Amino acid sequence: MDKERLIPRMFHRRLLLLLSSTMVVFVALGAQLIRLTVFQGAAKRQRAEARLDRSYPLPTTRGAILDRNGERLAVDTASYDIAVDYSVIGGAWVIEQAVDAARDKYAKLWNEMGPDEREAAVVEERGIYDHQVEQLWDIISSLGRIDRAELDLRLDNIRKTVEKMAAAVWDNQRLLEYAKFGKPEPGEEDPFDARPILEQEMAHVILPRVSDGLAIEFKRLAEQLPGLHVQDSWRREYPWLSVNVPLDKSTLPRDLRSDDIVEIEVTGVADHIIGLVRDRVYASDIVRKPYKLKNGEIDLQGYLVGDSVGSRGLEKVYENQLRGFRGIVNKHLNTGEEERIEPLPGKDFNLSIDIRLQARIQAIMSPEFGLAKVQQFHAGWYLDGTPKPTQLPLGTPLKGAVVVIEVDTGEILAMVSMPTIAIGNTWPKSRQEMEFPFVNRAVETPYPPGSIIKPFVLAAAVGSNVHSLDDKIECTGHFFPNWKDRARCWIYREVYGYTTHTAQLGGPLDAIAGLARSCNIYFYTLANKLGAENLISWYRDFGMGQRLNIGLIHEIEIPDKETGEVRMVTIGEHAGMLPSADRIKVLRKNGQLEFETVIMGIGQGEIAWTPVQAVNAYATLARGGYIRDATILKNDNRGSAERRSGDLNIGPRVLATILEGLRQSVTESYGTGHGIRYPGGVEPIINAEGVTVWAKTGTAQAPPLPIDDDGDGKHDRKLKDLDHSWFVGLVGGGEKPRRPEYAIAVILEYGGSGGRAAGPIANQAIHALITEGYLKVSNP
Amino acid sequence: MTTHVIRRHPGAPPASARAITRPRVLLFNPAIICLFAGLALSIIGILAIGTTSPSLANKQSVFLAVGLIAALVVAVPHYEWIRRISYPFLVLVVLLLIFVLLPFIPDSIVKTVNGSRRWINVGITIFQPSEIAKIAFVLALANYLRFRKNYRKLTGLMVPFILTFIPMSMILKEPDLGTSLLFLPTLFAMLVAAGAKLKHIILIVVLGMSAAPMMYPMLKQHQKDRIVAMIGQITGDERYLDDEGYQADRAMTIVGSGLINGAGKTLTSDLLKYNKLPEHHNDMIFAVIAARWGLLGGICVLAMYLFFMIGGVLTAAVCREPFGRLIAVGFVAIVFTQMTVNIGMTIGLLPITGMTLPFISYGGSSLVANWLMTGLLFNVALRRPRFLERESFEFADEKYA
Repeated sequence: MDKERLIPRMFHRRLLLLLSSTMVVFVALGAQLIRLTVFQGAAKRQRAEARLDRSYPLPTTRGAILDRNGERLAVDTASYDIAVDYSVIGGAWVIEQAVDAARDKYAKLWNEMGPDEREAAVVEERGIYDHQVEQLWDIISSLGRIDRAELDLRLDNIRKTVEKMAAAVWDNQRLLEYAKFGKPEPGEEDPFDARPILEQEMAHVILPRVSDGLAIEFKRLAEQLPGLHVQDSWRREYPWLSVNVPLDKSTLPRDLRSDDIVEIEVTGVADHIIGLVRDRVYASDIVRKPYKLKNGEIDLQGYLVGDSVGSRGLEKVYENQLRGFRGIVNKHLNTGEEERIEPLPGKDFNLSIDIRLQARIQAIMSPEFGLAKVQQFHAGWYLDGTPKPTQLPLGTPLKGAVVVIEVDTGEILAMVSMPTIAIGNTWPKSRQEMEFPFVNRAVETPYPPGSIIKPFVLAAAVGSNVHSLDDKIECTGHFFPNWKDRARCWIYREVYGYTTHTAQLGGPLDAIAGLARSCNIYFYTLANKLGAENLISWYRDFGMGQRLNIGLIHEIEIPDKETGEVRMVTIGEHAGMLPSADRIKVLRKNGQLEFETVIMGIGQGEIAWTPVQAVNAYATLARGGYIRDATILKNDNRGSAERRSGDLNIGPRVLATILEGLRQSVTESYGTGHGIRYPGGVEPIINAEGVTVWAKTGTAQAPPLPIDDDGDGKHDRKLKDLDHSWFVGLVGGGEKPRRPEYAIAVILEYGGSGGRAAGPIANQAIHALITEGYLKVSNP
Repeated sequence: MTTHVIRRHPGAPPASARAITRPRVLLFNPAIICLFAGLALSIIGILAIGTTSPSLANKQSVFLAVGLIAALVVAVPHYEWIRRISYPFLVLVVLLLIFVLLPFIPDSIVKTVNGSRRWINVGITIFQPSEIAKIAFVLALANYLRFRKNYRKLTGLMVPFILTFIPMSMILKEPDLGTSLLFLPTLFAMLVAAGAKLKHIILIVVLGMSAAPMMYPMLKQHQKDRIVAMIGQITGDERYLDDEGYQADRAMTIVGSGLINGAGKTLTSDLLKYNKLPEHHNDMIFAVIAARWGLLGGICVLAMYLFFMIGGVLTAAVCREPFGRLIAVGFVAIVFTQMTVNIGMTIGLLPITGMTLPFISYGGSSLVANWLMTGLLFNVALRRPRFLERESFEFADEKYA
C-alpha cells in the first residue's frame, strides 16, 4: 500500500481511470448532440418537416386562339386521362412492396442480412404484387377496349422514353459529381448513385381522353389498383381545322361556270397561322424551361412530361403567353391542410382573321374548284380559235397564296397558303421535299413583283419630284435605243407586230394610261429618273425588304453543324429582297446599274416581296401613304418586336391618278386586268357587280421550275421561261366609294398570265367578301 | 490521554464489538442510484415508444414489471450463491448458443429467419440467449479472475480471452454483430479493474486496432457499405444519403429536428411517420427521444446513464470482495458500451449496427437482461463488507494506475 497516493487503493484508482475514460465518450456524444440540435437543428427540422409536405401541380388551361368574330380556332377542352405511376410501369413498385413485406417479415434481422439473403427474401414476397400489376393491365385493357399487345407497346414506349431521359440526366449529374469529387480510378467502383428523376416519380397517361363514364368506372377502381390515377386533362382542339364550304360556280370563268353550288371540303384551314401543339415534351423543352429548377424552386410555367407544347405557327410563337401558369397544391400530410396557388390560364389570342372568309378563300384556292390548276383560259386561244399550248400540262394543280386585309386597320382578314399543312401531310415525303407544303407562302416566300410594283414607281417618282403628273412619256417599244431585245415593252413583241402604246394611242402616255396599259417603257423611264438608291428607298418605305412583323415572327435556336455554336434565327416571316448599298456599288462598278434600275421599275431584277408585303403596300398606298402594317392579331399581345409607323405623304392628286389608272386597268377594254379572251369574245375578269375594283396584274418572270419526273424527291429537269401570276388590288363597296376598303393579293406560282390565272381567283375573293358581308353592294 | 485511532474506510464498520453483530445488509447503498437511473431510463423508454405506438408502450410496461421482479429475484440470495453456479451457467448458455445454431432444430423452437438464428421459443415467449450470455460471461469471467494474479502476465491473459471468444464467436455466427461487439470492451474493463498490467492491455488494443484494417476485406458487403457511408456522412459527402446512409441520415435529421426543447409528441410522431425512420422503437429510439424532448431530453438520458455508471462504480468501490467488484464493473461496462454504440450510431458518430439502447429500446429480452444486471448490482451493494475484510486487487508493485 502506497501511502503517498491521493487514492490509496489501486482498485479505486483503476475504477477512477475507467470512469474518467468514459467521460471522453460522454463529452463526445454530448458535443455531437449539441451540434445536431443547436447548430444544425433548424436545418434538420426544416428537412424533416419538408417530408411532411407533398406538393403536386394543378393543370392550367392553354389560352384560346379566336378569330375576329370570336370563333374558337384552338381551344383546350376538358376530358379525363387514365394514368399510372411510373413506379408501377417501370417495376419499382413491385420491388418496393416486396422489400417492405420482407422487412416486416424479418423485422430486426433485416439489418444483419446480406444482399443475397435479402434478394432471396424479396423474390419470395413479390409474386402477389406481380399479380396485382398484371391485373391492373388486364383491367385497363378490357375497360379501355385496347388490345393487350397495344397496351404493352404503349408501356414499353413510356419506359424507353423515361429511361432515355433518365440516362441523359444521370450522365450530366455524373459529370458534375466527377468534377466535384474526382473521377474514380479504373477498376475502382463508381461511387455515382443515380437517383430517380421526376418522370420516374410521376404518373404517365396510358389512356388519353376517356369518356366520362369510363373515367367514373376507373375512379371507382382506383382505390384497389396500384398507382392508378384518373386525371383531369385538357386537350387542344381545332374545331375549324376541317370544314365544308359551299361555293357558287355561276361567277366563274366561262369554261368552269355552271349554276351549281359545289360543296368543297377544305382541310387545314389557317393551319399555317394557328399552328399546332404536340403532346410530347422533348428533352430539349425541359432543358430550356424545367418545372423544377436546379435550386429546387418550381417554375410554374416549366415543362413536365404530358404537357402540350406549341410546335408551329401561333401556338409556337406565343407559347409562353398561351400556356399560362399551372397551379400548385402543397399538402401537409400530417394535418391534411392544403395550400393552393390557383392556376393562371394562358392568354387568349384574338386574330384579325375571319375564319369563314379564310375557309371560303381556301376553298376557292383548292384545285378541285378549278381555278388553281392549269386551265386553257390561262394560256388563251389563237385568233383562229385553236388553243394555245400551256407550259404546264392542263389540270396541273397550282400552288399559291391569297391575302385580304382591311385598308383602314391593316388587319389581315384572310391569309391562305396552298397547299395547307394538313394537305401536305397526306403527301409522300418526296413530294413534300419538292413542293414545300409546310411553308406559309403568304409570308414566308418572296416572289418577284412584276408589274404590280408599277403604282409605287409612279408614287415615288412624283413624290421625289423627278416626274410631274402632267408629263407624258413616249412608248418606244424598247427603252435603250440601241437594244431592241432587252428592256422592251410587253406589247413590243412579234405576236402584236412590234407595236407600241404610243402607236396605239397616237401619242405619248400620261400616268393613267401608263398604269392602265401597264406600259413598261413608262416605268423604265420613271425608274431611270429616280435612280437606284432613291427607288430602293421608296420600295423599302412601302415595306419591301423588311419584316412587317404581322405577328408570326419568332426566334429559334439553330446549332451550327460544325462548331456546335447556337445561332438565333428569326423565322415566321420573310423580309423579301432588295439590293443592298454594297450591291449597288458592285452593279455600278460593273456597268450593270442602269439596266438593273430600269427593270426594277417593272418589278423584275433583284427585288422580291411576299404576298403580304404586296397587299400591305397597296393598303399603304390607299391610305395615302400612312403606314399601318398588316397584322394577324386583333389584340396586341405580340410582345416587344418592333412595328413600323410613319407617313409617306402621297398627295391626293397622285393617289387619285393611281387609283384611276388601276380602275381603268380593270374596267376598260385596254386594261391589262380587264378580260379573258375566249374564242367567242372577251369576258371581264372581275364580274362582281355593285363594287369598285382598282387592281393591277403582274406576270413576273419566275425562276426555273424544278420538275421531279420519277418522284424521288429530287428534281430531274427544270422548266424555264415560266411566269408567276399576280393579281393585286383594292376593292370598295358601291359604284363610287369614297376610298378602297380592302386590299387583296393573289399569287399563283408558275400560273402564267396575271390577269387570266390570278385574276379569276381575285374575282372570287371579292365575291367571298360580298358573301361574308364585308362589301356593301350598291343596288343598280 | 491518548486516543485510540482506528483507520476507517467508507463503509467500514465502527470500531465497536457490537458492530460484529450488526445487520449484514446495507439497504441505503450506492446501487440505489442505479435503481433510480434504470427506472428513469425505463420510463423514458416507455414514453418514447408511446410516441408512435401506445400498444408497444403498454407491452414494454409489462416487460418492465417482469424485469423488476427478475431484478428482485436475483437481488435477494447472496451473490456468493450465484458465483457458485456461474460456470455451469456459462456452460448452459453456451449450450443454448450452440442449440440455436444447430441446423436441424425445427423452426417452432428456434426462430430461424433467413439463416439468422437468435430466438428460442419457450412456449409463453421467445427470448434471445445472447442477452443472457452477456450476464453469464461477466459472472464466469469474474469468477475466474477473482483470486488469480496470472493475468498480470501476458500469457495469463490467454484464458480470459478464450473465455471471451467462445460466446462472442457463437453470437457472431448467429449472426448478431452488435451483441458480439460488447464482449471485448467488457473484458478490457474487467481486466483493468482486476489490476492487469495496463501496458499489456494497451499493447493488445493497439495490435487489435492495427489489425482492424486487415479485417475490413472480411466484412460483408453491406457492412463495408455502412462504414463507407458513415465516413461520407462525417466528411459531408452526400452521395450515400438515399442508400447506405439512408438510415443514418434520417436518424440525424430526426435528432436535429428536436432542437433544444423538443418537438413535442404530435409533431415528433408526424416527423417519424413521414420521414420513415426505420427501427424507431428499438435501435433508433434515441432519435425519438431527441426529437420529442430535444437536446435537454438527450442530455437528461446521457446523465441517467452517467448516474447508472457512477452507482455501479461506487458499488464496486464500496465492495471489497473480488467477485462482487468485478461483476459490478462488468455490468457497467456492458451498459456503457451498448449506450455508446447505440447513441453513437444514432447521432452519426459510428456506423449503423444492430444494438439496443439499454433500458430504453423496445424489447423484452433486452429490458429483462438490463434489470437482471441491475438486480445483481444491487445484490452486490446490499452486502455490507465484513469487518476487516481484505481489499481485493491490490498489487503493491503497480506503480502507475
